[in-house]
This record gives sequence, C-alpha cells and structure tokens, in this order.
Amino acid sequence: MHRIRIIGVVAVLALVFTACGGDDGGGTAEPTGDAEASAAGTELSEYGESIDADPALVEKALGPVEDVPDIVLAAIARADQDLDQATIDTAMECWNSVECDTGSGGELIMGVADGGRGNVWRQVTHMEAILQALTYPEIGTIISRDAQWDEDPAVAEADIRFLIQAGADFIIGYPDQGTNIAAAILEAEAAGIPYIPYSAGYVGLPGDEGSLIPGEDYTAIVGEDLCALGESFADIVNTEAAAGPVGIMGGTPGNALSAGWQRCFQPALDDSHPRVGPAADTYWVNDFALQTVLGWLSTDPDITAYAYEYADGMYTALDAYEQLDVPVEDITVVVRTDEQTLFCDWVDRNEPSYRIFFSAGGNFQSRVAVTAAMLTLQDYEVPAEIIVPHVMREVTDSNCDPNRVTETVSGTSMVPDEVLATMYPEG
Amino acid sequence: MSTATTTRRAPSSSLTSFVVASRYLPVYIAIVLLIVVAAIWAPAALRAPSLRAIAPFGTFLAIAALGQMLVIMTGGIDLSVPGSITLGAVLVVGVGDASDDRVWAAIGVALLAVALVGLVNGILIGGLGLNALIVTLAVGQIVNGIALRYYTSVAIQTPVPTGLSEWASSRFLGVTRTFWVGVVLTLVLIVIFRFTTPGRRFQVVGANPVASHIAGLRVNLNQVAAYVVAALCYGVAAILLAAFLKTPSISLGVPYLLGPIAAVVIGGASLTGGLASPLSTWAGAFFLAGLNQMMRVMGLSTALQFVVFGLVIVGGMLVSGDRIIRGVEQVLRERRGDGATSVVSATDGGSG
Repeated sequence: MHRIRIIGVVAVLALVFTACGGDDGGGTAEPTGDAEASAAGTELSEYGESIDADPALVEKALGPVEDVPDIVLAAIARADQDLDQATIDTAMECWNSVECDTGSGGELIMGVADGGRGNVWRQVTHMEAILQALTYPEIGTIISRDAQWDEDPAVAEADIRFLIQAGADFIIGYPDQGTNIAAAILEAEAAGIPYIPYSAGYVGLPGDEGSLIPGEDYTAIVGEDLCALGESFADIVNTEAAAGPVGIMGGTPGNALSAGWQRCFQPALDDSHPRVGPAADTYWVNDFALQTVLGWLSTDPDITAYAYEYADGMYTALDAYEQLDVPVEDITVVVRTDEQTLFCDWVDRNEPSYRIFFSAGGNFQSRVAVTAAMLTLQDYEVPAEIIVPHVMREVTDSNCDPNRVTETVSGTSMVPDEVLATMYPEG
Repeated sequence: MSTATTTRRAPSSSLTSFVVASRYLPVYIAIVLLIVVAAIWAPAALRAPSLRAIAPFGTFLAIAALGQMLVIMTGGIDLSVPGSITLGAVLVVGVGDASDDRVWAAIGVALLAVALVGLVNGILIGGLGLNALIVTLAVGQIVNGIALRYYTSVAIQTPVPTGLSEWASSRFLGVTRTFWVGVVLTLVLIVIFRFTTPGRRFQVVGANPVASHIAGLRVNLNQVAAYVVAALCYGVAAILLAAFLKTPSISLGVPYLLGPIAAVVIGGASLTGGLASPLSTWAGAFFLAGLNQMMRVMGLSTALQFVVFGLVIVGGMLVSGDRIIRGVEQVLRERRGDGATSVVSATDGGSG
C-alpha cells in the first residue's frame, strides 16, 4: 500500500513537472505544458476542433512565439483553408453586405458589431471573421454592423441592440467606445448571447471604473497581454533608441487597447526617454496621426522614438518630416501591426539609423473570437482572457513583399491572396 | 447701395465704416491674444517650423470656411461639408488611380461631383424653400454613404497621383503651395465683394432677401449659386487635402463640420445673412488652426482640447458680429436720443 502511494506521488509529480513545461520556461505567454495541451487538445477535439495547426501558419500569424493557447491553435487550424470560388463569392457577399446567407443551411446567426470599418485593417479583420465563420456549417447567417467611428456611443450601442433583436446567437467585434457601450453588451449577455471582442478590446480595462469583467460580465476577450506588450515596447525604446523624447500615439480616446499598453509602457521608459507630450488620440486615422506628429515635430525635432499600434498610420505620420524638412534619421519606431506600407517605405529610405520593431497585425484574432464563440455555444468553458502571445521583431528587407496584393494589408494576415485580390481589385 | 431703410437720419459714411469694421475686430483681437498666450505658455508654437505646420491645415479649413461663409451670407448653413470634402478626396484618389496622366480628370470629376452636391442643396433650399439645416444634414449623410461605398470598393488607402502629392508638398516662398491657393482664393473673393456688382448684389440679397425680391433681384438663384460655389470651395479643399495627405482616409472630412462654421462666426459674419468678410474668415480659420497647434504644444489631452475648442466657439458667439453691431446701435441710440437707427441694414461694402 505504501509502495503504491509512493508510485502515485511520483506519478503525480512527474505529471505536474511535465505539465509545467519541463526545464525551459521560455516564451512570452503563460507556459502551457505538453500534457495539459494534449489533454486540452483532446478536449477540444470533442467539440469538433483540431489544434493541429500548421506551424508555418502559426509563425506567419504570430511570429516565432511559443506556448500558443489551444483555442488560438484551433482557430489557426481552421484558417488553413483551400477556398473554392463559390466560398470566395460567399465571403465577398458577406463582406459587402449587412446580412448574408452563408449557404450552409445552418441555423446559427453570427453578429459582428464593429466600432468602425474605415481602414484596411478593420476590413481585413472583418474578412478573417467571415472566412472563419464559413468553416462552421452551423452558421447560416452573418449580420455585420459598423458604427463608422461615430463619436456618439448610442450608434455603436444601437448596432449591438440591432443584433440582439435580429436573433444573433453570438456577437464578436471591437468595442471602440469601451465602457460607453457597456449597457448594450450587458443586455446581449443577459439575453444569452455571448459577446467576445478581439484585438484586446476590453470593455474598459479591468480595474477601471465602470469597466466590465471578462468571464463575468461578458463571455471572453481575445488579445495580447497588453501590459506585456507595453513593456516590450518600452524595452525596445530603452535599449535601441537614442536618448531623447518619445512620441506616444493611440487610437480612439479611451479605447482599451491603447490605454492598456500605454499604461505599462510609460512607467517602463527610462529617464533618458521622456514623453514628448501626453499620448495622442489619433482614432487610428492616418490624417490625425500626421497632424499629431506635425505638431510635435514642429516644436521638438529631436524625437528619437515613436510608439503606436498602427503601422500604416505611422507611415503617413512620417510625412511630417518631409513637410518640416527634418531628416528621418536616428528614429526608432515600435508598432503593433505590420502593414506593408511602412515597411516598404522603410526599405526605400535605406536609412540605417531609422529602425522599426513590430509585433503582429493581429487581424486573425477575429477568427479566434469566432471559434471561442462556437465553443461557448457548445458549453465549452473558454478562458475569460484568451491571451494571444506576442514577440517583437525588427523589420528587415524581407518584411516588404513587393508582390503583396496590396501593401496596406498586414503581412501577418491570414486572408488568402486570392480573396485579398477580390477585396481590393485595384491593388 | 447705402439705403437706410428705417433711419430718419443716414449715418455718416465714416461712422458706417467704423460700425461695419467693428464686427470683424474680435477675430484679430483673438489672434493677438492667442499670440500672447502662446508666447507665455507655449513659445515653441510661434517658431517657424510650428507656423509651417499650421499653414496647410489652416488653409484647408480656410477654404472650406470661405464656402461656408458664402452660404451663411444667404442666411443659410451647410452641414454637408464633411461629406462633400470626403467625396471630393476619394474621387481624386479613385479617378486618379495613382497615375499622373489622370490628375486633371480626377480634379475635374471631384469638382463636378461636389458642385452637383451643392446644386442639389441649392435647389432644395433656394428652389423649394426647404430648411437648410435639415436638407444639408440629410444630403451630407447621403454623400457620406456614397463616398464610403466608393472608398471601400475602389479607393481605400490608395495614394493620390504622385505628381499631385509632390506639387502639394513643394513650396513657394518657403511655404506650402496649398497655402498660396488659399491666399489667391481669399483675394479673389475680396475683390468680387468689394469691386464687382454681382458681389455687392450677393451681399444685399443675403442681408435683406424680401427687399431684394421686391426690387426684382432673383433671390432663389442667388441661394442656389451660393451653394454651388460653396461646394466648389469644398472641392478645392478636398483636392488639396488629398494631395497633402497622399493616402486620404474616409474620415478626413470629419473635422470640417464645425470648424468652418466656427471660423465664419469668429470671423464676424452675420448669421442672419448679408455681411461677412473673406479676410476675417480666413483669419478665423488660421486662429483655430493656431489654437489647435498651441494646445498640442502645451500637451493638452484630447478631452481638454475638445473643451477648449468648444469654449472658444461659444466665446466667438458671445462677441459675434451681430452682437457687436447691436451693442454699437444701442450706444448710438442712447447718444442721439432716437430709437430707430439701423446701421446693419444701411451698410454696403462690408466685406474684405
């Protein structure tokens, strides 16, 4: 009996050791051991998902990260699609319409409530969600609403309420208005409709006044560990950028994504990198980013670093240097997304003292939200925070693909080229 | 033109000139105050690079404001400006197709399209007598929808032809060429209003449409023309804005809803129609652009920038031209002991 106990304890310890990831402990996300992953993978397979994602596709979406959560792997596995023309046609119809029939005969209705869709990133992210939905025959209808970045939160709230009335079975999207649309989100959840935002679109950052708690007030959130992202940004600025002021830009005022990384970025900056001013809200609109940098640069031409989520906005903002006759030199840029415009412009400039570091575009996170919602509808308990691991990379010549269908699309997007070519026929 | 409709004794021309000029004073006082405040709290905002940064955006706002001024001079208002500007810009991108060979076609189509928007506004307001506020808001929504559809299907994040963007980035006398376009347009309007009969007639019709109608002037046609010419101003602003930004976004028209109206009001225009000054409107636009720049330099948060901007517009209304004129009239009445002098309706040549 005693021997059995000892064997049992050893077996448990071995399992715990294996589950904790053995000896390496590396990676940027919370370690998930093989045994646990395997167990969870088996578990997910019972819900019709596979975590057997092509490693090349995982790296394309996320970069060289480790310990990717199973739900993320499952979403990427589904993204590995061979699309026939009929599927592309259906996807395009859904992309162009408020409501579409997927043709599967499924009874589920997917609702997409986006705060705005006025840039390529948002449009590609929308298409990622549609393509993911088309892999589920249970989804028969997709209804997409776009609040067009209206400053009035009632518009975005009305979109969610519209989806509730339309009978949506789940709702995904990016809540640009944050806590201002909390009431509508709570109404959806109260009606039994899971709400899962992506791109770290928290409905107010946890701990903030009025914020909703993922896993309690709404089903789940998909996104990077924002604080870790901000610290990664700061680490690069501290180690790679020359001493001098840093320009910080974000999206719509109060959005959780910007606030989340900025909150950890700013305290992590060392003393040699003061802020040029408070973080500027650009609404992720290129024109506003340009005006912001024009304003900063006109009074402080010695800015040595910029931190921003949006690479394409940064591309336009750099025009300020030409406008004010300031050379683009000794600048370090840290961005989250990876639109080709900025990277190809970097190649063209051929300036060694101008460097860019990026994470990943994250378009595919909307796919994770769809998969998480489908699992939720099957009573699978998804984590409250589905953390997408990130890693920072320096831009090299290889990050500019001259054959890309359109250079405004993120290099890490998983929308196939044939679909992008249909979306943007002008290239 | 100096017909005092209700006066027993016509005011002297110098007094009239003083009274008329006084309505435009606040904008220049505001600019002086802005410079003083900037010199104390944000001196960097007064340096040459800062002024160079203001020049293009001040110009875009000024040109849009000149269009809005024409509409306000007819007693109307135009809330379709953001839609018109967005439509013009996306057409420049879409028709231009990043090809220098298509630049003029793109400019032509953009101007034609926005002029059509102005014509629709003009016919609905001037021809059918519908409410300007509602009509232009509705037309603006329709135009926004068309622009959005066109943008997402054809022109999304596409660059304007290189030749056009290079022209917009180039300089004349050390300042962006877009700035000089604004200067020329302002001067043209000043000349038209001060020295041409159609210009003076335009002001008179706006100041007193009933009397003008009785006098045989075509008031409706005047209104329609105002909306069309105003739309052409928005079109010019859109083309310059697109050229400057290189890859204009669908949101580029958003700041031009309130901004041009604010510039016109701060510039001393009469919101009841008639009197306005292109020069003061231009100054009002640059005051607002300078204010924005100063707030950025001072590091104000977005929330605080909204508050300050709104307060300045309210302040502009408080010292608006109409209120100044009423105040001056009150003083004149008290001094003369008569109660019927109306200098407002007795003026001409108030512009410039």
